[in-house]
Amino acid sequence: MDTLPAIETQGLVKRFGDLQAVQGVSLTAHAGEILSLLGPNGAGKSTLISMLSGLLEPNGGDATILGHSIRTEPGAAKACLGVVPQEVALYPDLSARENLVFWGKMYGLRGVALKQRVDEVLDVIGLADRQKDRVDKFSGGMKRRVNIAAALLHKPQVVIMDEPTVGIDPQSRRYILDHVLELNRQGMTVLYTTHYMEEAQELSDHIAIMDHGQIIAYGTHEELVRLVGEQARIDLTLNVEAERVLPAWQEVSGVSRVSPGAEGLVTVLVDDSNRVLPRLFEAATEVDARITSVDIQEPNLEAVFLHLTGRALRD
Amino acid sequence: MKVLDIALKDLVRSFRSLFAVGMMVVAPLLLTGLIYFAFGGMGGEQPDMPAIRVGLVNLDAPPADAPFNLGQNIVEMFTDESVADWLVATHYPDEVAARTAVDRQEIGAAVFIPEGLTAAILSGERDPDTTIVIVQDPTLTIGPQVARDMITSLLDGFTGGSIALQVIQERGARLEPGDPLPDRQAPAWQVATLIDKYQTWYVDFQRALFHEPDRAALRMVVPSAGEGGAAPMQQILSMTMVGQMIFFAFYTGAYSMMSILQEQEEGTLARLFTTPTERTLILAGKFLAVFLTVIGQGVALMVFGRLAFGVVWGRPVSVALAVVGQVVAAAGLGVMLISLTRTTRQAGAVLGGGLTAFGMLGGLFTVGIQGMPALFDTLSVFTPQGWVLKSWKVAIAGGAPAELLLPFVVSVLIGGAMFAIGAVLFRRRFA
Repeated sequence: MDTLPAIETQGLVKRFGDLQAVQGVSLTAHAGEILSLLGPNGAGKSTLISMLSGLLEPNGGDATILGHSIRTEPGAAKACLGVVPQEVALYPDLSARENLVFWGKMYGLRGVALKQRVDEVLDVIGLADRQKDRVDKFSGGMKRRVNIAAALLHKPQVVIMDEPTVGIDPQSRRYILDHVLELNRQGMTVLYTTHYMEEAQELSDHIAIMDHGQIIAYGTHEELVRLVGEQARIDLTLNVEAERVLPAWQEVSGVSRVSPGAEGLVTVLVDDSNRVLPRLFEAATEVDARITSVDIQEPNLEAVFLHLTGRALRD
Repeated sequence: MKVLDIALKDLVRSFRSLFAVGMMVVAPLLLTGLIYFAFGGMGGEQPDMPAIRVGLVNLDAPPADAPFNLGQNIVEMFTDESVADWLVATHYPDEVAARTAVDRQEIGAAVFIPEGLTAAILSGERDPDTTIVIVQDPTLTIGPQVARDMITSLLDGFTGGSIALQVIQERGARLEPGDPLPDRQAPAWQVATLIDKYQTWYVDFQRALFHEPDRAALRMVVPSAGEGGAAPMQQILSMTMVGQMIFFAFYTGAYSMMSILQEQEEGTLARLFTTPTERTLILAGKFLAVFLTVIGQGVALMVFGRLAFGVVWGRPVSVALAVVGQVVAAAGLGVMLISLTRTTRQAGAVLGGGLTAFGMLGGLFTVGIQGMPALFDTLSVFTPQGWVLKSWKVAIAGGAPAELLLPFVVSVLIGGAMFAIGAVLFRRRFA
C-alpha cells in the first residue's frame, strides 16, 4: 500500500496583479524525506511556501498536507505542519520560555503536555539555562534556535523551513543543518527552501529547482547533475568587458555555453576543462583581453541551474 | 481559549513596556499632579499663598492726654492674630533699617509711622512730616497693595468717625441708649471718646471680617464642599484628571491596537496565521486585549486619582456607565484609526496628531477652565471624546445614572460604529 505523500501540490498558481509568482506548480514531497526547493531570489519559493502554510490563498490549483487540502481543510493541514519562517518571528519582549509556551498554545498544547514539551525543546536547542531571558537579549544564532523550536513544539509530521540560514554565522548555520538532519532521522518530512546550492546538496533526498515561478527540474542530486552531463564550470575574470571575448569563446571547441556576468566575470560550461582552458586563453589573447582569475568547478547544482536557465544561481 | 491566550500575551507585552505604562498611567497622573502642585495642593478651599511680609517703623508719640494712639492702632492691626496666617509684620527701630530690609527683599513693604501722627490727627492739621509713608519692593504688587489698603481702610474709619462726630455735634444725636447727650460745645475729651468708640467698633468689624465672618457686617460667601459641591480647587483638579484620563484612554486604545501592526512588522502575525488558529479568533484576541487594557488603565487612574488627588468620581452606577462609555469609545476609535494605517510609523503619526486634535476639539485640555466660549462645547459633540467628557461631567458632579444616559448612549454608539468599521477593515486585510 502506497504511503500518503507528505506534501503534494497540483497546479498551484499565485498571482499578484499582473505578476504570476507561482505558475502551476505540481510537486510531491514523500513522507520522511528532505525535499529542497532551490532557486534564486524571486523564483517564487517563498510564495509557494506561503500557500502551503496557509498564509496566502492560491489563485488556482490545490495542495495537500498529509492528505488534507489547504483549501478545504486548512485547519487540519496546518495542524500537521511546523513552519519555520525566514526571519525570526518571536516576541522580543517575552522570554524564550514565554514565547514557546505561547506558540505551543497556538498549536493546541495545554497543561502538563505543554510544559513537558517546552522543557524538552529547550533542552534540544540548548537554551534551558537561558529560558527566562528575554529573546531580545539573545544573539542571532540563539534567536534562530528558538525560532525553529517554536515550530516543533507540537511534533509536526511535516516541517517547512524557509531559508532558515540566511544571514547567520557559520556556527549557527552548521547547527541548523545538523538539526534538520536530526529531525529527518526522527521521521519528519522537511521541505527546505534555500538558494545555497551546498545546503541543498548536503541535506536533500530530492531537489526541486525553481525559477520564474516554475519547477524547472526535479530529482536527486545525482539525477540533476546528470542533466548537464560531465560538464565542468569555469569562472573567468577579464580585465576588459566580457562582450569582447564572447564571440571567440563561443567558437572554441568543447565549450557548450558562455554566460557573461558582472564586472568582467564570464562563466563557461565545458566538456573537459584541461583541454579547453588553454584555448580560452589563446582566444582571449587574440582580442587583446587578459584573464586575471580562473576558478574551475566540477559538475554541480550550480552548473545545472546555469545549464537550464543561462544564469548563475546567485545572480 | 486561544482568544484569551492572545489577549493575555498582548496585555503582558503592553504592561511590560515602560513606555506604554508611562503613557497609560504615569503621564495622566503627572500632568494632573503638575496642576496640583502648581496650586499648592488642596489643603483648603483656597490655594496656599506665600505670607505677605511687612516692616513697621512706629515713631508716633502721642500727647500724654491723647485719648487714642493711632500709631499703636496701626501696629496692632498688622500684628493682630486674625491676619497672622497670611501677614508677617516685623518691627524696625528706624527708617534706615526698614529700607535696608526692603532692599534685601526680606520684606515686601515698609510702613513708616511719623512721630506726630496722632497729634496731627487730634489737631486736625496736616503737613508732610506727619504723613504715613510706604516703601515697597518694586518687583512686588500684591503685598504692598494689601498693606496700603489696610492703612487706607483704618484711616477711612477715622475719617468716618470725624464725619459722625460732626453730625452728632450738629444734631445732638445720641450714640447709644443711656449715653449722656453731648451739647454743641462738648469738650474735646468727649469728642475723643466718641472717636475712640467708633474706632473700637471699626477694628472689631475688621477683625470679624478676617476671623469671625459670621459677626461681620459684610459677608462674602464662596460655595464649599458642605454647601453643594466640591471646593473650587478640587473641582479644577477633578476635571483636569478626567480630561487627562479620557485623553490617555483614547491614546491607550489606539496604542494597544497598534500591536497588530507591530506583530505584522515583527513577523509574528504571519506566523500566527500558519498555526491552526482561525484568523477571526486572532483578531478577536487582539480586540479583547484593547478593551481589557483600556479598562485596566481607567480603573488604575481612578484609584490613583482618588488616592493622590482626592478625586470624588461620583455615584458607582454613574461612574460605571461613564467608564463603559469611555472604554467602548476609546477602543472603537483606536481600532478604526489603526485599521486605516499600514505601519507603526504611520500609526505613530495618527496617535500623536489625530488624537491630540480630537482631544482638543473634545474639550479635554480646557475642561478645568471656566468660561470657555460656547463654540468649544458645540465642537465637542463631533468627537467621541466630547461625549465621554459629558458623561464624566455628570458623574463627577454626583449626577444620577439617568442624567448621563444620553452622553453614555452616544459614546457607546459612536464607539461601536467605529469598532465595526475597524473590525471590517482588519478582517478584509487579514482574514
